Amino acid sequence: MSRSAIGAIAAFCLLAPFVFPSAVTAQTQEVEEDNCRACHLVLGDERLSDPARAFPDDIHATRGFGCVACHGGDATDPGIAAMDPAKGFLAKPERGDVAEFCGRCHSDAEFMRRYNPSLRVDQVAEYASSVHGRRVMELGDAKAATCVSCHPAHSIRPPSDPLSSVNPLNVPATCATCHGDAEYMEPYRIATDQLERYQLSVHWEAMSVGGDLSAPTCNDCHGNHGAAPPGIAWVGNVCGQCHSVMADLFAESRHARTFAMLGMPGCATCHNNHDITRPSDELLGLEDGAVCARCHSAGDPGGQVASAMRSLIDSLSMAYHEADSILERAENAGMEVSQALFELNGANTALVSARAAIHAFNVIAVKNNVEEGLEIAATAHELGRQAADRVQFRRIGLAVSVMIIVALILGLLLKIREIEHREPQT
Amino acid sequence: MNQEKPMTESSSAPAAATSRRRFIDWLMSRTLTTWLLSTSLGGLVLAIVYPTSRYLVPPAAAESTSASVTLPFAPDDIQPNSAEIFRFGSKPGILIRTAAGEFRAFSAACTHLACIVQYRGDIGHIWCACHNGHFDLNGRNIQGPPPAPLETYTVNVRDDQIVVSRGA
Repeated sequence: MSRSAIGAIAAFCLLAPFVFPSAVTAQTQEVEEDNCRACHLVLGDERLSDPARAFPDDIHATRGFGCVACHGGDATDPGIAAMDPAKGFLAKPERGDVAEFCGRCHSDAEFMRRYNPSLRVDQVAEYASSVHGRRVMELGDAKAATCVSCHPAHSIRPPSDPLSSVNPLNVPATCATCHGDAEYMEPYRIATDQLERYQLSVHWEAMSVGGDLSAPTCNDCHGNHGAAPPGIAWVGNVCGQCHSVMADLFAESRHARTFAMLGMPGCATCHNNHDITRPSDELLGLEDGAVCARCHSAGDPGGQVASAMRSLIDSLSMAYHEADSILERAENAGMEVSQALFELNGANTALVSARAAIHAFNVIAVKNNVEEGLEIAATAHELGRQAADRVQFRRIGLAVSVMIIVALILGLLLKIREIEHREPQT
Repeated sequence: MNQEKPMTESSSAPAAATSRRRFIDWLMSRTLTTWLLSTSLGGLVLAIVYPTSRYLVPPAAAESTSASVTLPFAPDDIQPNSAEIFRFGSKPGILIRTAAGEFRAFSAACTHLACIVQYRGDIGHIWCACHNGHFDLNGRNIQGPPPAPLETYTVNVRDDQIVVSRGA
């Protein structure tokens, strides 16, 4: 800041109480001895007034920290001397210094424990290991993210706050501020469609429609402060945080070794990375839409295994849905089939387990689950068929009863007429 | 009865009227009416007696439950730190006896893809084997893909009966 500008601000601060007496008086009454805000609020430059306006809702302000906690200086001094470097005043930090600026407190375990004992204190170390941190701190990159890129300075809210930029529902948009801007990201030559693709995923659906805030968003796979793309030994280590059964089966399979040899990412090879849609049985096998068919054909053993697994899954899926359908029809017809429906839950469990077992790429593993499920589905289907037969029997019984009643009414009418005709003769 | 006209007349209308009359007379004869009445009355009695007798005989299917269920086992049948799956209507439920001896019941359908969960005494969790989902003993989803907690049921122990019900 030039000397003339500092002089102008100082003069403004000194004159402000006389020019805008009501505004300044109100602010000084509201925030006692916070001359920083009092002065900044009435400055004409939004770059200087906006931070003061936003700060009361910042988590630091709500915990009792004022401007000087970060910027130093003397808040009790109403003049420009408040910003005297001799009083410890620190102006806006340079981009490369932001992490250390925040880390003065956030890397101090003893200090942070007083305010948030559960908060980690390794953010700066993690950030230094990230692509963002390395670019900023080592290469002097003027565009890569710093702390304030994701946690906007002076309006920082905790992740639990729905208005926070790092609330799970807002994280994708926060990351996309830069990563969705093709012009901004142009020098880095990476894709900028991650947000659009992520919003097609089952994870975003679980979070935005299902309200499950534990569903993965950007930072759950890429890390938050240590964000890397993703910079881990194997993508299964990321997916396996939640999908451990499939990740373990895959890791033991021959696909894991082959994929590693070919440089193909594990899970993402078949399920994509950002646009991970709900998997269906059509992904398996060699038909249209099957991912196995990208590498395998009917002639090779892998293709035959894929087709065999698909046939097994289809057979159980069909048997389950047929049994479920007949039981549902019987239930809607008023039959008591809750025992059969209860048993059928076991077939669903077997079907879900069989679908998980395909990640071992072993027909036997799938077959064991499928055979168990088929047996349960057959029993349930038979119970459903018996219930449907009973419905038919009741319908026929109702028709016969109605016919009997009609015949009775007809007989009574004829009897009445006969008696009426007989009376004159007697 | 009307007296019949001689059939020597050329007009066919009177002949048709005569045949209708004869048919009505036949219908109204005592024999037919009595047969019709007795048969249909007999049928009616059967139509009442059969469903009534079937109603009195308990059906093969067990009682349908919607709000509460009396479990088919006694409290002493379940050892501490173990669990039993039970039928709650058409859905599976799980009754857990904690290591401290307390009974807790939840829906046994995993909130991920509705696999039937089980109790893991070694870690004190409710566990879904399909995708390695874990729930704590309050039914909360604590690990793996399950997106929501298990529905919690109320357990009441009355002498040697365990009654599980929905809601508080």
